[in-house]
Amino acid sequence: MSALPIAQQRKLTSVLWTVICGVFATGVAIVLLLIMGYIIREGYSAISLSFLTRLPRPTGISGGGVANGIVGTLIIVGIAALMAFPVGVLVGTYLAVYSHKRVAQLLSFVADALAGVPSIAVGIYAYTLLVEPFRHFSAFSASFAFAVLMVPLVIRATEGAIALVPRELREAATALGAPESRVVLKILLVAARPGIITGLLLSLARVTGETAPLLFTAFGSQYWELSPGQPMAELSLQIFTYAISPYADWHAQAWGGALLLIVAVFVLSVLARLSILLGRDGRGDGGTV
Amino acid sequence: MTEQTIASPVAPPPGARPSSLLRGERITSKIFVAALQSSCGLFLLIVAGLAAELVWGARLSLKTFGIGFLWSSHWNPVTEQFGAAPFIYGTVVTSLIALVLAAIVGILAAIYLAEFAPRWVGTYLGLLIELLAAVPSIVYGLWGLFVLAPIVANWIGPALQKTLGFLPFFKGPIYGVNVLTASLILTLMIVPTITAITRDLIAAVPMRNREAALALGATPWETAAKVVLPAVRRGIIGACLLAFGRALGETIATTMVIGNRPVISASLFAPGYTVASVIANEFTEATSDLYLSALIELGLILLVVSLIVIGIGRLMVRLFVR
Amino acid sequence: MPGMKLSLNRVAEPIGGSPAQSRPLQSPGAAADIPVKAEIRNVGFHYGKFQALKNISLPLRDRRVTAFIGPSGCGKSTLLRVLNRIYELYPGQTASGEVFVDGENILAPGLDLNIVRAKIGMVFQKPTPFPMSIYDNVAFGIRLYEKLPKSELAGRVESALRRAALWAEVKDKLYQSGLSLSGGQQQRLCIARAIAVRPEVLLLDEPASALDPISTQRIEELIAELKPDYCIAIVTHNMQQAARCSDYTAFMYLGELVEFDETERMFTHPREKRTEDYITGRFG
Repeated sequence: MSALPIAQQRKLTSVLWTVICGVFATGVAIVLLLIMGYIIREGYSAISLSFLTRLPRPTGISGGGVANGIVGTLIIVGIAALMAFPVGVLVGTYLAVYSHKRVAQLLSFVADALAGVPSIAVGIYAYTLLVEPFRHFSAFSASFAFAVLMVPLVIRATEGAIALVPRELREAATALGAPESRVVLKILLVAARPGIITGLLLSLARVTGETAPLLFTAFGSQYWELSPGQPMAELSLQIFTYAISPYADWHAQAWGGALLLIVAVFVLSVLARLSILLGRDGRGDGGTV
Repeated sequence: MTEQTIASPVAPPPGARPSSLLRGERITSKIFVAALQSSCGLFLLIVAGLAAELVWGARLSLKTFGIGFLWSSHWNPVTEQFGAAPFIYGTVVTSLIALVLAAIVGILAAIYLAEFAPRWVGTYLGLLIELLAAVPSIVYGLWGLFVLAPIVANWIGPALQKTLGFLPFFKGPIYGVNVLTASLILTLMIVPTITAITRDLIAAVPMRNREAALALGATPWETAAKVVLPAVRRGIIGACLLAFGRALGETIATTMVIGNRPVISASLFAPGYTVASVIANEFTEATSDLYLSALIELGLILLVVSLIVIGIGRLMVRLFVR
Repeated sequence: MPGMKLSLNRVAEPIGGSPAQSRPLQSPGAAADIPVKAEIRNVGFHYGKFQALKNISLPLRDRRVTAFIGPSGCGKSTLLRVLNRIYELYPGQTASGEVFVDGENILAPGLDLNIVRAKIGMVFQKPTPFPMSIYDNVAFGIRLYEKLPKSELAGRVESALRRAALWAEVKDKLYQSGLSLSGGQQQRLCIARAIAVRPEVLLLDEPASALDPISTQRIEELIAELKPDYCIAIVTHNMQQAARCSDYTAFMYLGELVEFDETERMFTHPREKRTEDYITGRFG
């Protein structure tokens, strides 16, 4: 190498580093594909109709499924969404429309801070607030924990989406004498809808598969349970329990559950991206005159 | 104009103009403002509740153990002696190793994506890397437990011991579930954060900076390393802090692969325990008030440290992106 | 005669045709033949600490077009935005002075802003159709103030679209999105939307500058058609447009009103050197 002139050395170094960087980038992507592939391979064989429709069997007995976990996940995430969406959209709207007020700056800071809170801490909060006083675990407390995790994402997405609406639109509506509520409801929120929906979907993707808070809120269950006031099975919790168990059959079911989770999360992420793309196509152009 | 048979938009005679908004409009306006304000109030209340409940729950432990809680390594539920040291150690070590590894990989990968890769490669590769962030932690934990841990136990571990076994980090018996495996899983989980942010920061550097360097005869790598990267240095540090904060709070994936033994050992092959893991494992087993309070105090420590780290990180990134 | 109105605030006068005699720099309307709809008096404006308007006074005459010209940054758009108090959306922007419309100072605090804005309509530079159907766009303003039966509302929408010279082009697609129109059509939609609430004053902030020449011409024709029924103020950076469309012109520079006169006189015999320099293109 020292035999080459400096210019060539530097070019070689540049190429070398480019390759190294490329290797790292592709390497990371390959690892992802490997993980995906492994889960698909292991999980696919575990998924069957009985897996999707049966209740778990007692310890060590084979057969059984995660039906109650699937239903439980839907219920817990569903209730969480009902709590998080209105609060998140309203606060996000407030931040976008009244950004100059001092309260808005406090809210923005708090929302950002909440986005960084570890989920286990949120789990403790839900426990002390909703489990301890009632002396039993419940799906509702899990939904509360999930909602706390979702709200900052919804707030940020809503605020961002409304802020992107051209200010002339707001001015044009105000110039007609419309009160703020009209401007926001009929115009700003409508124009910002694709971005808000993306935020909602991404917040759902965030909590689907979140396990830590569930350990002492929903707690899990072997049975059918539809009442939010009771402990409830949840898919990611079941995966956890099965994975750390010593039974091969349960390990296989854990892979099946993991595959279900991944599919759900990816579908949500894709839908989130689609929302933005489709939203843009709403505009037409009828010509020049 | 001949269409005067249709109601003309010409201004009505004075007195005929409506004197104010429709009553329905005014009522909607009031309800709207009330809804906004109450949801903001509710939000602040809930967040305040989070801090309050954690502090309240930890008060027994705070009173009993005081500041010594942080460096005491006794964790004995039977004698009711609780100390945070092994967990703080485990958390910090795994997160730090993950940070170093993820920073190297992530920054170099980001440079490739933003500087060297052709547009379409950059898009798809970047997408794949971002999808890594969408994978739930339980799935990482599962893969880590059944795939990565055996690899560490059978391949990576012995290889490291053979080559670097003179270092205290690579001594001792090699378990599959240990600090090293946990660090590797964490690395995977935080690489997308560093890559995505760094990539955005680099992409935001104006072309003219690069053009100036290239015009002087710099190679692409020299431009990237000596011109672009230094320009976004503070933002990259911020991204690393954000990733570090994420690693600190990670619970499930770590719990499944770290071995869950409250020991402080120099060896990376030894099992360990993180703050989040001990809370996850022992919260429902806490038999006494003090036990529970100690766990909650751990949660409080984790919360405060995460907030500080992530807060500073976000500040540093924001000073760049905005 | 279409659009003949009675108003207690107006002195009954022959319409049209002003005597050709020299007028003072700022004619407060005392000796005017054409009634003054809006009287701008000592208006000042601040963006934070920066003073954008200094002591502007001039009359806006009813059923006439008053154009505001001047180089960028001179404050002409700022002045227009004072007239319907749209600047109040942004904290840190403050106005001083008075604007009397039909004898009432619309800058006074405590006024019902919604009604002020219904009376004084504005069309912006960039066409901004709302994300709703064409019909709903035009009906938007009406629905704020009046609860009308469907047929009457449809009638108001139709007449507004007719006056904006858009009806023929959209009558078969009233329920399509307003965004599906072309640029020129969208701007005419915005004009229809503004006149649907029956304003008395129309503020046009560079209404054609984002449009192609053919659309621009149509907008200018529209202004001429609307003139008999409104007091129109138009901001334009296009001097020829000002010369073509307006009866009065105000030339502004660096936040001050340099000259105000009948358009014909200002463009042929400007009084101030700065005006002459601007009009002849010595600076832009």
